[in-house]
Amino acid sequence: MGLHKLRLAAAVPVTFSSRLFLKPFTNTLTLGLFSRHLQPRNKPLLVRAFSASAAVQDIPATQTSDSSVARPLWKAAIDFKWIRDNKEAVEINIRNRNSNANLEAVLQLYENMVNLQKEVERLREERNNVAKKMKGKLEPSERERLVEEGKNLKESLVTLEEDLVKLKDELQHVAQSIPNMTHPDVPVGGEDSSAIRQEVGSPREFSFPIKDHLQLGKDLDLIDFDSAAEVSGSKFFYLKNEAVLLEMALLNWTLSQVMKKGYTPLTTPEIVRSSIVEKCGFQPRGDNTQVYSIDGTDQCLIGTAEIPVGGIHMDSILLESALPLKYIAFSHCFRTEAGAAGAATKGLYRVHQFSKAEMFVICQPEDSESFHQELIQIEEDLFTSLGLHFKTLDMATADLGAPAYRKFDIEAWMPGLGRFGEISSASNCTDYQSRRLGIRYRPSEPPQTGPKKGKANLPATKFVHTLNATACAVPRMMVCLLENYQQEDGSVVIPEPLRPFMGGIELIKPKLK
Amino acid sequence: MKGKLEPSERERLVEEGKNLKESLVTLEEDLVKLKDELQHVAQSIPNMTHPDVPVGGEDSSAIRQEVGSPREFSFPIKDHLQLGKDLDLIDFDSAAEVSGSKFFYLKNEAVLLEMALLNWTLSQVMKKGYTPLTTPEIVRSSIVEKCGFQPRGDNTQVYSIDGTDQCLIGTAEIPVGGIHMDSILLESALPLKYIAFSHCFRTEAGAAGAATKGLYRVHQFSKAEMFVICQPEDSESFHQELIQIEEDLFTSLGLHFKTLDMATADLGAPAYRKFDIEAWMPGLGRFGEISSASNCTDYQSRRLGIRYRPSEPPQTGPKKGKANLPATKFVHTLNATACAVPRMMVCLLENYQQEDGSVVIPEPLRPFMGGIELIKPKHK
Repeated sequence: MGLHKLRLAAAVPVTFSSRLFLKPFTNTLTLGLFSRHLQPRNKPLLVRAFSASAAVQDIPATQTSDSSVARPLWKAAIDFKWIRDNKEAVEINIRNRNSNANLEAVLQLYENMVNLQKEVERLREERNNVAKKMKGKLEPSERERLVEEGKNLKESLVTLEEDLVKLKDELQHVAQSIPNMTHPDVPVGGEDSSAIRQEVGSPREFSFPIKDHLQLGKDLDLIDFDSAAEVSGSKFFYLKNEAVLLEMALLNWTLSQVMKKGYTPLTTPEIVRSSIVEKCGFQPRGDNTQVYSIDGTDQCLIGTAEIPVGGIHMDSILLESALPLKYIAFSHCFRTEAGAAGAATKGLYRVHQFSKAEMFVICQPEDSESFHQELIQIEEDLFTSLGLHFKTLDMATADLGAPAYRKFDIEAWMPGLGRFGEISSASNCTDYQSRRLGIRYRPSEPPQTGPKKGKANLPATKFVHTLNATACAVPRMMVCLLENYQQEDGSVVIPEPLRPFMGGIELIKPKLK
Repeated sequence: MKGKLEPSERERLVEEGKNLKESLVTLEEDLVKLKDELQHVAQSIPNMTHPDVPVGGEDSSAIRQEVGSPREFSFPIKDHLQLGKDLDLIDFDSAAEVSGSKFFYLKNEAVLLEMALLNWTLSQVMKKGYTPLTTPEIVRSSIVEKCGFQPRGDNTQVYSIDGTDQCLIGTAEIPVGGIHMDSILLESALPLKYIAFSHCFRTEAGAAGAATKGLYRVHQFSKAEMFVICQPEDSESFHQELIQIEEDLFTSLGLHFKTLDMATADLGAPAYRKFDIEAWMPGLGRFGEISSASNCTDYQSRRLGIRYRPSEPPQTGPKKGKANLPATKFVHTLNATACAVPRMMVCLLENYQQEDGSVVIPEPLRPFMGGIELIKPKHK
């Protein structure tokens, strides 16, 4: 029957770069975004041999460890052909991003999968032929021979089909770590290579010794970390008095500003199934995960509203006329901040739970770049209105998370901390998330007269592009506002745009004791 | 054995000392175990009950007050789920895929309505001298227990975090109660009155049937909770203050409701007395609980360790030593729902619906919603 023996080359064990999980701490601080890079299991790739007869199979030692691997619960619709046809560009991209994706393994597995697929189809055809022949009039010995042949084909098919399933799973598993491609204008390199897109304002000059937000929070009875440490643990806090009004004013004002630009307000679940978290490009399991899991379930707490919003349209085909979909979503966010240590964790700068307003856009591929510009413009306008001094950075390749084609971060001046700190991030994820979440759209048909078309004439669906951008991360904003607007007498001025949303309060004054 | 002794006498005493020491170790261990066992069984003894509380089950609860009357509709009405769909306000279907049943997204005006409810409630309650607060929503499980809830066990209402001793809160009462745990407050610091906002998470294990439809019973919701810490002699009047605040809030929103003095079988272990407010929900065709106000007297404070030191009577003379300070006493704690957003939304949507499918926004909320007076059906 001539079944091939297919061998996969044993690949070098994938090494895991811990740098991807821990953001380096320099004079500019990062938001401690999730580790977006899927962590491949730390073991050698398969060496497998597929042989003709079911009884004989070379099973090297590595396979037994692989047989314990669970089947993936979902599949990303990865364009393997495109990867194969553009492998040089993909390899360069992987390198520039310091990704540990193994392109060679993916290409090899893909080729093997394609060949095995052909083999399976060939066997199926042969089996059909045998079945056809058996319908006619045959000599008993001929019939017996065909029955035997049919049986052998069936057994081989079963084996090969099982192998094909395993191969496809393995391919998924390795291919999922391939990061998104990168916008040509993005600087190549590490943190220091990020380009400044814009700088607004300048650091305020103080004529008196200034306090940091923690001191201001204590003195003005606004923030309580001590009680929270007893009740919940470190990096938790209570907001009190005017700080509560300030949080509400920030969220209310942000909502009204962004709604004017046509964004639909949303509140979201904060408990989601872990598969959704993965599909968005985050890693719910693993040692340094940023994700809290709920005991006894497959559910997690969200670290950003991007996750439940991305999930709204998963496994859907949208009409072209429905796009773009633009959301401004409020939620509390929960992050373990595992692996984040040192000075970059002080006070409100790095906390386990916070309120955030997040913008999320679903659009046609040709529109994502202009929506990225729209999102970053909205953010810059918001922070300019609040009188903040900040710079917008075009993040370099090593600082992009796996899903982002391009990412703009805004870092604002925090005088009490004496440095710039990230207050927002805007990513264009192109089709990275939509291929995992299964969000497609059907392009509109050109107008035609004539009888109603059948399904065969509908234009093929395409994957949408998704983008996400922070409109307001309350604790970081509070650090900025408290530290920048403090007065010599210990009070804090409320920026004008927020006052109507705080019942007109203009000043947070020290309280009499 | 410190004195001068005959060797045989000394030896006898050493022997006696050893025996005593061994017996003590055993008995002390036994004492610890006994104390633990005592704690364990005694903790389930519920709080005492106010003498005016009716004895019996749900049907025995007394009506303290009834406000308003059911609105008469001249057209067939919808329930909040239908209104939520028709007005594109609530999405349960996507949430079922993303998170599971009893989760939801709010959209469009419903988001503004939630924010208006919370903002308005805050401003109203602050006027009565309550300090606004936001709280952690992840707490150590011991705090949950000290407040009288049960984090473990089959039918627990409490979500636990994997790999930690932490849980999600089901009400802000828990983290607020925890603020002053293991503390001695000055009498002059009392009363402490808080209005605390948080998201609340409940497994709703064991809740099934029609009473779980739509926004009526959900796993996650926003809530504003009032919490009072006071001297024992003041807790009854604060209970009246809290229920009055609730009744005023709901009256202002034009709701039809009744305040119930809950009967003994419906109190819950911590409550000395509990007032529940049930509002008329025409789409569901029945009254549904929208708030609860409990006087827990010293049940929670004995567990959380919240004491106060009464003020000393004025005296002249030299500074007193510690021995002359008045003994500390346990505070009383109370908690009351100012606004549970989903239940309020059921009330507002169902009661304020119009024949054309729109929903009127009650006047007090309009300034907090940018002046919106009506939620209108959207053109498609």
